[in-house]
Amino acid sequence: MLKGKLQGENKMSKILAVHSYKGGTGKTLISVNLAATLAKRGRKVALFDLDFRAPSLFAILKTSNAECWVNDYLNGTCEINKVLVDMSSRLQENGKFFVGLANPGTEAIRDMSAKDRKWEMHALSSLLALRNTLLNGGGFDYLVFDTSPGLQYSSINAIVAADLVLVATTGDRSDVDGTRRMLNELYNLFEKKTGLVLNKVLDSAKSKKDELSSKVQATYKVPLLGFVPCFCEILRAEGNFIFAQDKPDHPFTKILDEMAKKIETNALN
Amino acid sequence: MNQEEILGKKPLHVLEKIKENLERLNEKMEVIIELQKHGRKDIHPLPDASLDVMTLLSMPDHLRKTAMTICRCGRATADEISQQTTRARAVESAYLNQLVIMGYLKKERKGRKAYFYAERETPG
Repeated sequence: MLKGKLQGENKMSKILAVHSYKGGTGKTLISVNLAATLAKRGRKVALFDLDFRAPSLFAILKTSNAECWVNDYLNGTCEINKVLVDMSSRLQENGKFFVGLANPGTEAIRDMSAKDRKWEMHALSSLLALRNTLLNGGGFDYLVFDTSPGLQYSSINAIVAADLVLVATTGDRSDVDGTRRMLNELYNLFEKKTGLVLNKVLDSAKSKKDELSSKVQATYKVPLLGFVPCFCEILRAEGNFIFAQDKPDHPFTKILDEMAKKIETNALN
Repeated sequence: MNQEEILGKKPLHVLEKIKENLERLNEKMEVIIELQKHGRKDIHPLPDASLDVMTLLSMPDHLRKTAMTICRCGRATADEISQQTTRARAVESAYLNQLVIMGYLKKERKGRKAYFYAERETPG
């Protein structure tokens, strides 16, 4: 097994894929809020819904006025600039925040789950092409991919195209084992730089921070990007607002800012 | 007086041809050496091979690195791939040719350069 470091590991991570073994670990919550945080820091960010089995960004961001879906871009029937919806006006700061939505229609979901290997191969090259069109050519600073859990074609495509994989996990036993397997049998094989986000942490006292970090290192052998305590406010919000945008003083917003800082300063090695 | 003037145009052309043939021969030998090194078990020519992520996952490590670099570059020579992977050009040339034999890559010659790429069908 290749345990070597990703070539150019010290390069800045510009394409971030948020992934997890199981569903319900907080991928979308982290993707949306991290993308918004990076935008608030003055960056030009594009957030993509690559969870074609259960699209959700259109509902969370309360928008559906895209000319095309991400599905259309991957099908080769639409340019990426027609997919991206400019949501910068929702930010109070100077950054730029764009979103690419997955088609939530049942037929589209069915269609995406029936794609063959050749199509998936083309989809990978379309995702890889975003580095040139958006980062090098479109002035974007970061692309954030929100993915499906587990070993899905669309998720692995996103992982291969990414510079950094953010793995959302909880303390649940089934999630811990599966996450560890994915680290060894997926991210390592692709030599991906990986950071762990431990979500729904019950005992999150400041004094426990170092202990948690060491525990994560010992369990997963990857650095901890951040841990998110179990906030009842997040549950109560029912996905109705974006903390990074709407609740600037909430501890979750501050945690996200710390994560963004680590990503921007490449402090994850 | 330059080399061409001393030798005349024809001998120089012949020498170029010999060099080109030697390079091709060298490439073939590199493939044979690599095949022996890793055993023939990795080589299964597939009629409908595609370089998708599940295929990449199931590949032996040494080939995956080369195949992933081709996915990123689109179309490249062994020299360009070796700059990305920091492995020797001869090694990359052998791996690329193995991937061609397995049906995952196509090879196209343009003058003295050999370009490798994954064939992609139009999506639908």
